[in-house]
Order: sequence, then C-alpha cells, then structure tokens
Amino acid sequence: MKYEIHILEERCKGCGICVEICQADVLELSPEANEKGIQVPYPKKPENCLNCGMGEMFCPDFAIYVWVNDDEEEVRE
Amino acid sequence: MSGGNQDHPASHLLHLARMPSVWCAGCGIGIVVNTFIQTVHKLNLDPSELFVFSSQLGCTGKIAEYLKFKQPPSKERNLFFSALRFKQKRPESRVVIFFNENDLVVSGIDDFLFLCERGKGVLAVFINSFLHHLFLEHRELECFPLGKKVLEKESQFLFNLPGEVEKCGASLVARWTPLHCRRLMFSMKKSFSKHGFSFIEVISPCLMYHASERGLGKKLHRMDDFLKNSAIMDGKSKDNLDTRENQIILGNFVDN
Repeated sequence: MKYEIHILEERCKGCGICVEICQADVLELSPEANEKGIQVPYPKKPENCLNCGMGEMFCPDFAIYVWVNDDEEEVRE
Repeated sequence: MSGGNQDHPASHLLHLARMPSVWCAGCGIGIVVNTFIQTVHKLNLDPSELFVFSSQLGCTGKIAEYLKFKQPPSKERNLFFSALRFKQKRPESRVVIFFNENDLVVSGIDDFLFLCERGKGVLAVFINSFLHHLFLEHRELECFPLGKKVLEKESQFLFNLPGEVEKCGASLVARWTPLHCRRLMFSMKKSFSKHGFSFIEVISPCLMYHASERGLGKKLHRMDDFLKNSAIMDGKSKDNLDTRENQIILGNFVDN
C-alpha cells in the first residue's frame, strides 16, 4: 500500500470529522461502538487514499495520521 | 516505510499522556490546536523558543496544557499584560497567545488593545465561540449569524476585533473558521515571519451553548453551517466585519 493509515483508538472521540472531510471516501465509522461507547472510524478503502493530509489536520485529538512508503514520492506539499 | 508503528509525526510537540483532550467532539478548538502544531512542525520551529500563553479560563485556557512548549510562570492574572511583559523582556522569543471572550472580559479589552500596539512579534489567536453574550443579558445569542433574528441593540452585534486591531497597526489580521484550517495554517505561517503584531480570529461553534433548536444540527453539521454561511472577502473594509448580513466574512484583511 502506498499510504498506511493509522488510527489511534484510545485517543479518538468519534466526532466523525475525518470521515466527513475525506474526499476520497477512505474512512467510515465502525458500526459497533468500542468499550467507551465510541464509534471509531476505520479505513474502509485505504487504497483510495491521496495523502492530502486533511484528515490528519482536522483531527482535534491527533488520533489519525498517514505514513508514506519510502519508495513513493510524497504528494503532500 | 518511513515509520513503523510509531506515533503521530508531531507527537514530540504534545503531552500525549493528557490526550484525549477535554474538548467536545465537534468543537473547533482542537482543530485550531492541530493546525498550530502542524504549522510549527512544517516550519521546523524550535520548540524551546516558542512560548504559549493561555489563561486557565474555560476551554481555550486549557490549550497550553496539551502543548510541550514552554509556559513561563507568571503571577499576573492579566493574560495580555503578562505576555507583553514577557515579550519585552525576551524580544528574541516567539510568543503565541490563545484566548477567547472570557479573557477579554477578565483581562479587559483595553489591555488587549495595548498589547496590539506594543506587542511586536506576538501572534494572538482569538477563538470566538459567540459566548460573550453569556455575560450580558442576552442569553439567546441574537448575534448568531445563523439565528436569523432581527438585531435591535448595538450590543447584540458580534465583536469586530479585526477592525479594532487593524487600527492599532497590526501586521497581519485574518479571520477563519475551523473548516478553513488550510488557510488558517497559511495565515499562521505568515505570522511567524512578521515583525509586527499578528491577530487571527477563528470563529468556532460551541456545542454547549448553541442551542439545537436553531436548526444547527450536531457535531460537524454546526461547523458545516459556518462554512456554508461564510464568504471570503480579502479586500473587505474592516469597519463592517460583523454579521449584519447573516454572513460570516472571512479572509486575510491585513497583510503588511
């Protein structure tokens, strides 16, 4: 995979901003809540990720970030 | 892989043990903090030279607790005065202030305007959540741009801080919403290269006080309403930046 999406479940509050803001429709809220009662997002279509950085920038709790493979050139500015 | 199972790229700038933050899911403060951290990370600023000031009042006052930047001890209760005094003692440092309406009420707007005139090289980020009417007799937020109410008194209008700050000779004056965080980041980047005072207002929804009967929905929908009802007018006159036309005027108003 070109970009690897990491979501830190212990920090997520389930606001859903990353899901709404993602233009490539990569993320989706999980149907089941975790032990805190939070529906944590998960990468439904990680192959669609463009590494635009919007989900990472919009997360208020620094719970999501994207790692880039060294072989690929980073698209983000 | 450029990183294995590591943490967030900007984790060295954060107190991770205190995460997750206390802010509501859907509040704009977290996005502003994230944007600020990303700005510092991308500009490769030295964290030891950054000094973040925030009072301990309200939600905005907790911003400094999550950041690993230095917080100088101060016995002053006046946020603006203590920041100005620190900047004058250490002119080489970068001072960033996060504040909201509570601080304006407690510290006084006169001291804030004094900071605008004298605070060279200071970045002030004002997170406006429309809470100042809680201190007045209006508890229904008539000033709210999406409330669609007829305004009768001058006190029902929003603060027009960008207009006041510009008169004090600020180098950079901007106003954005949390959903304009990319533009907000550009404004923050610019502010670190300015020698004068920089002021950025972020109009952010408060999930506690903005009643849902105003048709604002929940969580992200409120932020989305801010986005839909805003217009970017960079060359707009700074004298009329309130929301009399039921519209939030955004942009980089001053860039000297």
